[in-house]
Amino acid sequence: MKRYIATVLISVLASMSAWAIMENDGGCQNLQNFFRKVEGYGRLGYSIGGTAPMGMPAEIRKLNKFILQPNVSFGADLIKPASERWGILAGIHFENKAMHIDATVKNYHMEITKDGQSLEGVFTGKNDSHAVQWTFTIPIQAVYKFNDKWKLKFGPYFSYVTSCGFEGFAYDGYLRVDDPTGPKILLGTTKDDRGDYDFKEDVRKVQWGMGLGVDYFFTRKFGVYADLNWGLSGFFKSSFKTLDQTLYPIYGTIGIAYRFK
Amino acid sequence: MRFFNHKTFIAVAVIALAVISTSCFKEEPLNAECDIEMAWVHVDDLEASFYNANDTLINVISNEDKIVFSMRDDADVTAFAPQFKITPGATITPASGTAHDFSDGPVTYTVTSEDGKWSRKYQVSCNRMARYTTSEIDFDFEHFELDPLYHQFYVWHNSLADGSLGDDWATGNLGFRLSMSQAKADEFPTSVLENGYDGHGVLLITRDTGPLGHMGSNPKPIAAGNMFLGKFNVAKALFNPMLATEFGIPFIQKPVRLSGYYQYSPSAPFTDKQFIEHPDRIDAGDIYSVLYINHDRNGNPLVLYGDNVLSSDNIVAVARVKNVNETNGEWVKFDIEYEYKKEINPDMLANRGYNLTIVFSSSIDGATFEGAIGSTLKVDCVKLTCEEKE
Repeated sequence: MKRYIATVLISVLASMSAWAIMENDGGCQNLQNFFRKVEGYGRLGYSIGGTAPMGMPAEIRKLNKFILQPNVSFGADLIKPASERWGILAGIHFENKAMHIDATVKNYHMEITKDGQSLEGVFTGKNDSHAVQWTFTIPIQAVYKFNDKWKLKFGPYFSYVTSCGFEGFAYDGYLRVDDPTGPKILLGTTKDDRGDYDFKEDVRKVQWGMGLGVDYFFTRKFGVYADLNWGLSGFFKSSFKTLDQTLYPIYGTIGIAYRFK
Repeated sequence: MRFFNHKTFIAVAVIALAVISTSCFKEEPLNAECDIEMAWVHVDDLEASFYNANDTLINVISNEDKIVFSMRDDADVTAFAPQFKITPGATITPASGTAHDFSDGPVTYTVTSEDGKWSRKYQVSCNRMARYTTSEIDFDFEHFELDPLYHQFYVWHNSLADGSLGDDWATGNLGFRLSMSQAKADEFPTSVLENGYDGHGVLLITRDTGPLGHMGSNPKPIAAGNMFLGKFNVAKALFNPMLATEFGIPFIQKPVRLSGYYQYSPSAPFTDKQFIEHPDRIDAGDIYSVLYINHDRNGNPLVLYGDNVLSSDNIVAVARVKNVNETNGEWVKFDIEYEYKKEINPDMLANRGYNLTIVFSSSIDGATFEGAIGSTLKVDCVKLTCEEKE
């Protein structure tokens, strides 16, 4: 945890000093100059995506349902131009990355562990998962301006999860205990005979990833944007062993942007 | 300027493609399972080989690897050709439907999964039984071993009329293992009593199912020690535990009385399904036996489960020890008569149309997860007395 906070801080400090170097002289004057040229943007968007393994394993057979979630995102960015075309962006966004899916799996390995006891096996059937995570996200991106209308943005982001959940149920299938030759446990479709789970405690609080986005301003003040945020830290803590694959939050955001400075 | 716009779109398109390609569904993996799900045999003269048609088909429980055809004692099994329904894509050797000589004992079949990575061996045998055996059957609980799959908990065998050992006794130990995979043999709900009334006995203790058993909105916080004549189908153990206990084995005599010895010691506190304590309730044990008709009106096979073994319309006779309460460390003898609710049909009895179960439980309401962790029932020297044949 501390390690991740340190990473975020170092990154922010590094970009600050990069800005300072760009300015090339020191003092208060310098700080005023610095902010004089900074552009400010407000953003309001909607995200769509999922928390998924990198590369779909063959065990996941079919997506039965994908239910849209209230994934609002809002925040502000500052862009400091460094040259005519290049600049650097830093911001703070408050966003929800939620998903609700229903998938069919085959021979999907899982292990439920609690206080020294475990139930391990391979599950074939359906799985309904609902993930929620409200985060404060700090993007730090390089910006390339094609012209007054188009901007391309690319760089890392760091998120702190303020509230989260990952729950769901396995149903309409069976678990083979230990391996495919083990005892077969049937799971039904009602609340009493399906397998509920809640992995809220296992969600990683500090996450990071890479963002790529594009802004299009149709007037000087108003524009639209599209971002892709690709998580590179697993959604769950590394101690979480229930699922074989590491899940990464991968979300695309579209929205409106307003230039306030 | 427009030129750049195109480039931007291309860049976005490339990213979109990358996302789509990583989330594409891969080709379906081949089946990894290798079960015999069903075994049956077609014989030209049913009467000559089997007591009834239901005995020609066996639905195989996933946690069993022994398949036993129950046949007439004079049936010819030198060219017996059982057929099998196996996991789709799997292969079986020897092939389904080929004739083999079963007169010298079990024939081993090997099923290999479609993906070739897994296999299971099954012992298929023909149990040829005489119609009538002795009128007194003793269960001394001296034949036990660790379970063949995990070598972790005890399983018991009963002595059959011909001197061989049967698998008629079942317990819920395999179900307990789902939540307590690290438990040792003497930490399971049903284990061996070293100093029984005579030799070894059965030790049934209501157990805590541990952290996994308490999880979720539908917890199963305790597991009563249980033992019964029948089969334990682990498939239902986690979510429909009432259906996991398949009570009864085909029985061809008319039971008259059930006797034996027990000790009981209730523990405290008494808890319910939500693990809430009820200081006003005291745990009790349960010892009973039920004889029932093992098919419906149309002749289809029927088995009684935890939720209807004492209430079904198919019940013919019940023997139940009243008030299995504190015995203060002393062995107490029970000797109870079967109370008949229906007349026995001798033809149906001779043709395996009735099932008999005998049940022991360390918590009388253990099936609904009510009882006290630590409640202990000890049982030994159980004797079933049947009507003498003229």
